[in-house]
Amino acid sequence: IQPPEKPLQAEEWNKLRENFQSPEVFEEVMFNSMIRCNSHIDVAKSLLTHMAERNGDVAYNMLVKYLTLCVQQGQVSEICDVYDIMKVRFKILEMGAYNLLIKGLSNSDQWRMALTILEEAKKTMIPSRTSYESCMKAASRHKEMKLAFELYHEMLAKNVVPTLDVLQSFFDFSRGMKGAELQKKLFGILLYLRENQIYPHKTFMQSIKQWFESIPGGNWRGHLTTIKDSGQCPVCNHQLEDSDLTEQEYNNLSERIIRDVIHGTDTFRKTTPQEFEAFQTFVENRLPFDIVIDGLNVSHIKPRKMQCKNLFDAINCLAKENVRLLVLGRKHMLFNSSNWKTEIMKEMQSKADFFFAENISEDDPFLLYATLRSGKHCKFVTRDFLRDHKACLSDSLTRHLFRKWQRGHQIVLFTSGEGRPMGFSVFSQQPAFRYDCVVQTTGDTWHIPYKDVFEEKYSYEVPRKWLCIQKK
Amino acid sequence: MQSANMLLKKIVRSSVLSFAAQHGMKKDLFPLSRTLSLSLCLKQDNSCKPSEKLDLDAWKKVMKSGLQEEVSETVSEPQEHSGLAAARETLEMWRLAGRAVPENMSEEQLKTFMERPSKSAKKKYLKFLYLKELHKKNDKRKMEEKRERKLEAQEQTSKTEETKKSPFVCLWASTMDKAYNWRAAQSMIFGQPLVFDMSFENEMSVQEVANTVKQLVMGEGCNRRSLDPFHIHFCNFKDESLYHREFLKHYREAWSKLLITVTDQCYTEVFPKDKLIYLTADSPKVMKTFDHNKIYIVGSMVDRSIKRGVSLARAKRLGLETAALPLEKYLLWNTGAKNLTLDQMMHILLTLKDTADWKKALEFVPKRKYCGFVNKPVSELKKTLDLMNTLKLEKRQQEVQKKFAKNYSKKYILK
Repeated sequence: IQPPEKPLQAEEWNKLRENFQSPEVFEEVMFNSMIRCNSHIDVAKSLLTHMAERNGDVAYNMLVKYLTLCVQQGQVSEICDVYDIMKVRFKILEMGAYNLLIKGLSNSDQWRMALTILEEAKKTMIPSRTSYESCMKAASRHKEMKLAFELYHEMLAKNVVPTLDVLQSFFDFSRGMKGAELQKKLFGILLYLRENQIYPHKTFMQSIKQWFESIPGGNWRGHLTTIKDSGQCPVCNHQLEDSDLTEQEYNNLSERIIRDVIHGTDTFRKTTPQEFEAFQTFVENRLPFDIVIDGLNVSHIKPRKMQCKNLFDAINCLAKENVRLLVLGRKHMLFNSSNWKTEIMKEMQSKADFFFAENISEDDPFLLYATLRSGKHCKFVTRDFLRDHKACLSDSLTRHLFRKWQRGHQIVLFTSGEGRPMGFSVFSQQPAFRYDCVVQTTGDTWHIPYKDVFEEKYSYEVPRKWLCIQKK
Repeated sequence: MQSANMLLKKIVRSSVLSFAAQHGMKKDLFPLSRTLSLSLCLKQDNSCKPSEKLDLDAWKKVMKSGLQEEVSETVSEPQEHSGLAAARETLEMWRLAGRAVPENMSEEQLKTFMERPSKSAKKKYLKFLYLKELHKKNDKRKMEEKRERKLEAQEQTSKTEETKKSPFVCLWASTMDKAYNWRAAQSMIFGQPLVFDMSFENEMSVQEVANTVKQLVMGEGCNRRSLDPFHIHFCNFKDESLYHREFLKHYREAWSKLLITVTDQCYTEVFPKDKLIYLTADSPKVMKTFDHNKIYIVGSMVDRSIKRGVSLARAKRLGLETAALPLEKYLLWNTGAKNLTLDQMMHILLTLKDTADWKKALEFVPKRKYCGFVNKPVSELKKTLDLMNTLKLEKRQQEVQKKFAKNYSKKYILK
C-alpha cells in the first residue's frame, strides 16, 4: 500500500484501516511502506497519534519502526524524544533499537550520547559491529582518536571483527595528525591485517598511502608496484620475506596435520593404522623427496587423454637430474585397464618412487605428510585446493600456517594450449611463491599487498599488486 | 451456539485476543477489547478529542502520561538481577520487537539458551522453541475445534438414532496389538536378525541423538506391523546412555516389554563375522540382492553435519563386509545426501525381504531426492545423464553471468 502524502486525522486513518484486507497488521504494513518510501515523519507521527488514541499505547515494534524512519532522515531531536520515551517505558531495550539509536546519534552533534547508549547496550549483550563502528567513526571524526582506539581494542577483545571500512576511516581521520602514540596504534592496525592475512582493497590502500605521506616530518613516500617472482621489490630493491615457516611453526604444522588431518577422530576414516604405519616406514626409508605428486589428480589434467599417459607426461616434465620424485596413487592403478597400462606404469616406477594406498583410503593426507616430512625444500603437485583438509585443522592460527605453507610449496600443473607441440610444453607449472604475500615491514619500509575492488578474487588467489612505502 | 458463547466469554475474560482473531470473531470482539485496553487517563483524552488542528505530538504525551504509574511499579519491584532474569528481560524485548521468540520459556530452556556459544546459535534455538510453541498452540486449537464438532455431532445423533449392534466387540486396537506382538515374538525365535549399531553417541549432538531415537521408534513400529518382522538387535547399547534416556521418553514402561534384543555387546560378539554386512552409504560396494542368510547392520546415527566415513570406519576397524544401497543404479538421483533415515532403511529392508523387488523397495526413498526410476539400459541412461549435466552446467553458467551482471553495473562490463 502507498502511504499518504500528508498527515491524516484519526477518522481518515480509521477509514484506511477498515478498507485494508487484514486490519490487524495495518499499522505494521503501513509503517513498513513508509520506511520504504521514506515518507515525511509528520505522516508517521499522525499515525502514531492515531494509534495512541485508539489503543492507549504504542507498541514497541512500532516505536522501533518510527525510529528507523527518523534515523533514515537524520531527525536528531525526534530520535532523542523516542529514546526518552523508550527509556521510561522499558527497563532495557533490545539490540535493534540500540543499533538504530547509536547509528542515528553518532552522525549528529549528540554523538557523545551514542557512546552512553553503547555503554548501556553492553550491559545486556555484546553490541553489534555496526554500533561499534558508528561510535568509532564518530569519535575519530571529532579527532578523539584515543577514544576511538579504545573502542577498537574493546571490539577486538570481544571477538567482534571490524570491517575494512572502519579500519580505513582510522587512516582517513588521522591524516596529518602528529603523535608517536597514534602512529603506533595505526601500525597496530597494519599488523592486524598481517596477522589475519587480510588484503586491503585499492581505496583503502590509497588511504594508507596518504596517511603515511602526511605524517609531519615522517618523510614517507609510497609507490605502487608489482613484485618480481624473485621476491624483490623493484622500487626499493628490498627482498620480501620468504614464505618459509619458522622451525617451530613447521613442526607445529606437521604435528597438527598428523593429529587432525590423518588421524582425526578415527584413523579408520581416512586410512587404517596398518596402512599409515606402512606408509611411514616407506617414507622414512627413502627420505628426502624433492617433489611429491598426487598421481590421480595429475592423471586427470587432460580429460581426453589416457590417464596414465597424463601422469607419464607430468613425471617427465618434472623429472630433472637428481630430483627425487614420490608419486602417490591407489592400488587400482596397478591393474591393467584401458586407462592404466602396466608397461607405462613400470616405466614410470623406474623414474620415481610410488606408493599405492588402498582404494578406499584418501591419498591427500599422505601427500601432506610426505611433503612435510621431507623438509622445507620439498614441494607437492596437485590441482586440489586441499580445502577439506585445511578445514580439519581445529584453530585458525594453524589454518593460516597451512595456507602460508601451501602457497609456498604447492605447484599447480595446467595444460597450455592444445596446439602446442608435444613434449615439455604440454604442462606449464605455476610455481610456488618464493615470497610471502602479507603486509610486512622492516621499520624503514612497509610493503602492503592490495587487491582491486572490482577484480574477482578467490580465497586461494593472492594479490600481485603492492604498495611500497619507504622512508627517505 | 451456547458453547460458542461460553467460549467467547472465556476468551474475553482471559483476553486472549489473538486467539479470538484466529476464530474470525473479531468483529464482535473489537469494540469490547478496545474499552478493555483503554486506560483511565485516555478516556479523558478521548472526550476532548475533536479539535480542528492535528496535534502531531499527541502520542508522545500519551506515552509519557501512561508511564508514571508503571515506573513507580518497576521501582517498587525487588531488583533481583541474576543472569537469568536479565536474559528473560532481553527476550521479552525481542518478542516485543517482533522477533521469533517463544512466549513462555522454562528455566531450563533459558539456561540452554544462555549456554549457546554464539549469537546465531542463540537465535536458532529461539526460533526452534518459537516454532514448537506455535505448533503446540495450533494443535491445541484444532483439538478444541474437533471436540466442539464432536459434541455437536453427539447432540444430533443422540436425538435421532440409537447405536447399531454388531456381532464383534469393538476392540480393534488391542486385538491388533496382540497379533503384532505374537508375530514379533515369533520373529525373536525364527526371524532374520537386523542389527542397529548404537555406538555413535559421541559423534552426535543431543538433538541428533533425539532424532535418531525418534527414527528408531518409527522403524520399530513399522517392523512390528509387517507380515514377517525382523528380529531387531540394538548392539553396543549402554545403559544410562543418551540413547537409553531418549528411548525411555518415547516408550516409558513399554521399553522393558519391547520384543527386541538389546545388548551392550558388539555385533561381532553376537554373530559370526562372515555373516555380517555393514550397510553404509560410503561403502564402495553396491548391494545387488538381499541375502536372507546374512545379518545386516545399520548405524544408528543422524549426521546433520555430514560426517563422511564414520560408519565405514567402524566396519573397517572390525574387518566387516560393507554394502551400499544401489540408489544410483535404480534411481535418477537429483539432490540430497545418499544417506537415508533409519525408518526409511527399515521400510526398504522389509520390502526387500518380502518381495526382493528393488523398485518397490526404493519407493521409500523420499521423492524429492530423485527424478524417477531407471527403466532403460545403462548406456542410454548415461546419455541422458550427460545431457542433464550439460544442461545443468549451462544453467549454472548462465546464473553466474546473471549474478555478475547484477553485481557489477554496466560501466564495468563495458570497460
